Amino acid sequence: MVRFIIRRLLITIPTIIVVITLTWALVKLAPGNFYSGEKRLPPAIEKNIREKYGLDKPWYQQYAKTMANILLHFDFGTSLRFEGQSVNTIIRRSLPVSAAVGILAYLLALVVGITVGSIAALKQNSRWDYASMALAMLGISIPNFVLGPILVLVFSLSLYWLPPSRWNGFPSINLILPVLTLSAIYMAYIARLTRAGMLEVLRSDYIRTARAKGLSERDVVIKHALRGGLMPVVSYTGPALAFLLTGTVVVERIFALPGLGNYFIQASLNRDEPLIIGIVAFISITLLLMNMLVDIVYAYLDPRVRYQ
Amino acid sequence: MVPVTLKQFSALVLLAAMAYSTLSCAVASSSEAYFGTTTPPARNILRYVTGDEPESLDPAISNGQPEARIYMALFEGLVEYNPKTLGPDPELATHWSTNDDSSEFIFYLRRGARWSNGDPINANDFVYTFRRAFAKETASRNAYMGYSIKYAQPFNEGQVFVRDKSNGTFLLAKDFDQLVPAEPLSGSPIDPNKNEYQQAGKDSEPPPANTPFHEAMHTPLRLTLPGDEKSRTKLLNSDAKLKAAVANKELVPVKAEDLGIEAVDDYTLRVSLTSPSPFFVKALAHQVFRLVPQKTVENWGEQWTQPEHIVTCGPFKVKTWRPYDKLVVERDPMYWDAATVKLDEIYFYPMSDNPTIMNLYKVGDVDAVLNHTVPNAWLDIVRTKQDYMDGVEASIDYLIINTTKAPMNDVRVRRAFNMSVDKEAWAAWRKVVKPLTAFTPTGIFAGYPQPTGDAFNTEEARKLLGEAGYPVMKNGDGSYSCPKFPSIEFIYNTQESNKAMAEWMQAQWKQNLGITVTLRNMDWKTFLVARAKLDFNGFGRGAWGADYMDPFSFLSLFTEGGDSGTGWTDPKYSDMIDRANRTLDPNERYRLLAEAEAFMLKAQPVIPLDTGSVNWVKKPYVKGMYPNAGSLFAWKYVYIERDQAKWDFKAPSLAE
Repeated sequence: MVRFIIRRLLITIPTIIVVITLTWALVKLAPGNFYSGEKRLPPAIEKNIREKYGLDKPWYQQYAKTMANILLHFDFGTSLRFEGQSVNTIIRRSLPVSAAVGILAYLLALVVGITVGSIAALKQNSRWDYASMALAMLGISIPNFVLGPILVLVFSLSLYWLPPSRWNGFPSINLILPVLTLSAIYMAYIARLTRAGMLEVLRSDYIRTARAKGLSERDVVIKHALRGGLMPVVSYTGPALAFLLTGTVVVERIFALPGLGNYFIQASLNRDEPLIIGIVAFISITLLLMNMLVDIVYAYLDPRVRYQ
Repeated sequence: MVPVTLKQFSALVLLAAMAYSTLSCAVASSSEAYFGTTTPPARNILRYVTGDEPESLDPAISNGQPEARIYMALFEGLVEYNPKTLGPDPELATHWSTNDDSSEFIFYLRRGARWSNGDPINANDFVYTFRRAFAKETASRNAYMGYSIKYAQPFNEGQVFVRDKSNGTFLLAKDFDQLVPAEPLSGSPIDPNKNEYQQAGKDSEPPPANTPFHEAMHTPLRLTLPGDEKSRTKLLNSDAKLKAAVANKELVPVKAEDLGIEAVDDYTLRVSLTSPSPFFVKALAHQVFRLVPQKTVENWGEQWTQPEHIVTCGPFKVKTWRPYDKLVVERDPMYWDAATVKLDEIYFYPMSDNPTIMNLYKVGDVDAVLNHTVPNAWLDIVRTKQDYMDGVEASIDYLIINTTKAPMNDVRVRRAFNMSVDKEAWAAWRKVVKPLTAFTPTGIFAGYPQPTGDAFNTEEARKLLGEAGYPVMKNGDGSYSCPKFPSIEFIYNTQESNKAMAEWMQAQWKQNLGITVTLRNMDWKTFLVARAKLDFNGFGRGAWGADYMDPFSFLSLFTEGGDSGTGWTDPKYSDMIDRANRTLDPNERYRLLAEAEAFMLKAQPVIPLDTGSVNWVKKPYVKGMYPNAGSLFAWKYVYIERDQAKWDFKAPSLAE
């Protein structure tokens, strides 16, 4: 098992180097630079800026410096756009915001999705089933950049119940709308996964056995059916959580949240090289770690994977 | 516990929802004259959306308007923008005098001004701030704003003087460059019997005593050469006379101490300029001239702007700063005019999505927002409200033309395209802007005899195109076609409003000239590169806002080294501008500038479209904020009015 984990970790390092190199090259190839604006700068001032940030050096020197800092010191450097703010600080500051919204959204999606999915499976082909699956279909089909503004329109602008946007610490009522918007699609997806899983399990022999033993319907569902029916949901959780943790560009933008996703999109538009590389590297590491965790869990469950 | 059925529960929820919505409707309708709620905040706090996340709290660094507004709360300069006219109001300088050709200024500083840490502010702080702003290492994007200060430009560019080792004299610019204009008073030897400050009037203080530094400034402009060897060698090789003169001479780097700025005493500052600049004081409220704290900057380097280190000198000081969330500034008790400051705190929210900003405003989570925030589709509703801020802006929209590529290198073609855009219709479609045929904004510079460009005239336009060799034919169905005209394009940065503009222009030319212009969109930074390199054939979207309240802030774009984005320059134009700026009488100067503008318009390197509109909203209880032409606000005058009778009904007047 330990050897398996070490092997996986060793594969992760070159992957990250490749990701960083590709990102670096793409940023360098993109036209424009972080300091350009509506008013063009005189060439001498442009030169001063390029010298200050070492952009006048040959590309291989710039690349070597970037890589050395990242690999040896785990330092992504200082943002070009936001003077004096280190990329590490920016990530440390914005990650909790993204994670708070993401985890809350996923928890909500789990609770509602599993409940609705189970009810739908237990009352298959009833009105409950059709209604909840229609809702789930809607949840999957409506993109969050549509759902977000609709929720704002109803709950903020018409009813004046909830604030329409902005971060206000944790916990606060400002979180309700972004969490709802973000969780809708996961909720719907989990509901469908649960329903499908449960339907399969409910028809299996051991459920019949449990019923035959004379267990109450409640015990049958909670102790036996749910456990087996939720397997698809568990394997879905890994990648979904990695995605949610590292920020969701659209929702953070609509609700003006100071999360990682917001920084990511702005950094790209601003051509803020260190920040782009830092965030991309961070997201890749998170994804790789999450995938590795899933693999380890699989290996634990299924010995065949370990020896392949 | 009484069991509640699902049905009962749903009914309860529904009932609650209905009750609440009726209630909130009642609240909303009571303030229908305004857009959204009008409940003032409990404390004297202004919550303001200022635009994009500030790049830095260092006033030398950023050149953006969102930052400029923040700097106005934190830092002060010699002068401050007037809340209504944006003209220079005395701030850390109580008064100033100008020599007789506007090439030297003396500022008398306020006594008793302090930094937020209690240290006194004196003339040396200004000397440090100016020297730092132009230092290469600072890499300020705004340094060009002060290039009129003597040796500021060569210092910023890292250039060198040429000194004769034998006698210590410097080579002079006028001996090597025909284009160097005649020396202004500030560059001529001092005549002890002559008062250079006659213009300043009898009541003003006599100019301060002479100093060795002042003597040194009052000498003809020295020659400067590029600091890096490669460009210097290239220049010398192209000019034999220069090369011979420089040989065996000593190259001396231009140093901070060479800059034309001098602390005559603790409260008197003298600034020498390279050439007459009547607009100089108007530019001094700009962020790059705002004071920065020497000790703090030297101690902390780039980190000096972090909340735990920063020292400021404005009416407010930093309380907390959470990037992409909010910057909180609080009243600074050390501020010299703290008694005038009415707000306890200002929250600056960095946001750039207009609908999101307007939503926050509507529900009353913010009290005022930045300019250009009301989306076009919302204007019909928001414009009718009493809290809508209408007003002309010192900004223009126009189209740039790449004048270096055929067919647009023909002035007749450029004029034809200009004449076939109906600017009245354009302004009506955009709703809040004013049509424009000149390059300076209309209604901003009082007394400026703004010229007019060609009017909308499609008949004449088609005739001009014919003369240029591209005859326009009338088709059977009344439409036009111009089969010989080569394909040209219109470039713009991807944004909904820019796309609409491009399509609107495309339709005009199709309808009036029968020419289809291809549209090409690109992301913002790519667009800037294409525009800078003239890497397009045809038109591009252009916009310009005033750096200071003077027509020269617009007209300077077309002088040599300017940023017109069109490839058009004309030495005659530069001469006309130069002559105007040497003219002392302000009315005569304006007349000459207008002549130059008319001359440029005839060459048609651009198609002017409109004078901008400020287009923002503020709650009626926010007082002391005016829809001025630059959307820059002196925060110390802003306050929350709790007496409804004194609220603003309609945008407050800009008349003084």
